[in-house]
Amino acid sequence: MILGEMAGSSSYWLRGDGPEATIVFSSRVRLARNLKEFVFPPWAQSSILKSVAEKVLKAVKKTIYFKDVYYIEIGGLSPLERDFLLERHLISQEFSKGGEERFLVVEKKEILSLMVNEEDHLRIQTIFSGLQLREAWDLINKVDDALEENIDYAFSPQWGYLTACSTNTGTGMRASCMLHLPALVISGKINELLKEISKLGLVARGLYGEGTEAQGDFFQVSNQVTLGPSEPQIIDNVGRIVREVVNQERRIREVLLKRNKVQIEDEVGRAYGILTHAHLMDTKTAMNLLSRMRLGVDLNLLPKVETSVLNELLFLITSAHIQIKEGKTLAPLFRDELRAKLIKERLNESFKG
Amino acid sequence: MLCQICGKKEATFHFKEIINDQIRELHLCEECARKKSFLSQPFPLASLIGGLTEEAGIPFSVASQVRCPHCGLSYEQIREKGKIGCSFCYQTFKDYLIPLLERIHGHTHHSGKAPKELKMDEKEKEIHKLRRELEEIVKKEEYEKAAKIRDKIRKLEKEENK
Repeated sequence: MILGEMAGSSSYWLRGDGPEATIVFSSRVRLARNLKEFVFPPWAQSSILKSVAEKVLKAVKKTIYFKDVYYIEIGGLSPLERDFLLERHLISQEFSKGGEERFLVVEKKEILSLMVNEEDHLRIQTIFSGLQLREAWDLINKVDDALEENIDYAFSPQWGYLTACSTNTGTGMRASCMLHLPALVISGKINELLKEISKLGLVARGLYGEGTEAQGDFFQVSNQVTLGPSEPQIIDNVGRIVREVVNQERRIREVLLKRNKVQIEDEVGRAYGILTHAHLMDTKTAMNLLSRMRLGVDLNLLPKVETSVLNELLFLITSAHIQIKEGKTLAPLFRDELRAKLIKERLNESFKG
Repeated sequence: MLCQICGKKEATFHFKEIINDQIRELHLCEECARKKSFLSQPFPLASLIGGLTEEAGIPFSVASQVRCPHCGLSYEQIREKGKIGCSFCYQTFKDYLIPLLERIHGHTHHSGKAPKELKMDEKEKEIHKLRRELEEIVKKEEYEKAAKIRDKIRKLEKEENK
């Protein structure tokens, strides 16, 4: 029921109204927190997880930040419903496999969410449109303060916030941006850039985070180090590097337009043609074509489409979204048909509007 | 540090021994360590087996006997799963975790946010320290310096009362 309701609307951060939103899809900050007296989730028995969930949910209800929310127990979801939340960036791969006593609390705009009993007792997350890491940090910092009033966090003055995995110890913070970098991919400069990024302490991943491949020229870039620098230092560092990547992407777009205009026009024109005329479309093809179309729109080579429509489509076309919207599981061929139809409808609406 | 047995050579091997649940630390030179048969193999081979543990200079067999008093896990279990058991493990296994944290993050000290209660403690400590300084300086009749410190204290107190 809840998921059907969610499928009908889209997350606020997809609206594409943030700074640099045509290239920086979203900015996300997450904090890992644990309760001092309880065994961490990877080792905890169900009874412990239950006590943790009770304590955390009680604290959540006392804050002003989680007023209009959905409470979702992961254990009670079908595989399809879990995929849906994963595609929506509300839960992690690991959490999607979780059983009893694992909860997702998500505020209805989907700017703020909380996983209870993932790898850590709490995983708080904020997502904003465009390059707004500082805004995402400001909000999550306040939420964290509010929760802390009713939760005794595992913290040591030397090591900071104590987490189940040593890669999160310290700030427990991961600050990331989702980037659309088609020109860097087309020009073959992307690998060089990703290598540079890793030297600066950042990691690049695919659209759905850890262990996923990059799809449709989308990359998620985040900090690796969580212990040592302070949260604002990490936010500034990631933000600075993302800004530099955005500048490079823009520079290469200009170069491509100057030197290879016909090829680029052809590339984005073909994407546009297929998206507006195909009758069957699989997810991967759709992702790649939407990525190229996004480039074409940004370079004014194609009719104007709102960034929000292009953003939303990237989520609406995923398999779980299509099936949740239909309210049932569907064979791949039907999904491909619905996907092609959905894309055509949304684009045509946007052209008229 | 010199070897605790011969007292002559530099101690390059550091062990923890557990006898009746009591942890005893031993710092030995290579020769004495081998004599006491703490080392059955020459060191390079031990490091191949030990993975993380040998970084702390603790033989693996000994390390696996220490258990966290809160969650009951051994470091061997933690290492296998790659997940720490609870907040108390950090203290229990700090000899292994500090080198690991340093390798991952390049740092061993947190400088970011802290829960409010702790933050206040820090501030209180700072105010406390400044107050003592102030007393000393007043005794020495260095009033200009004293005024500066007094302003600092006022500022900190104001921040705290916000």
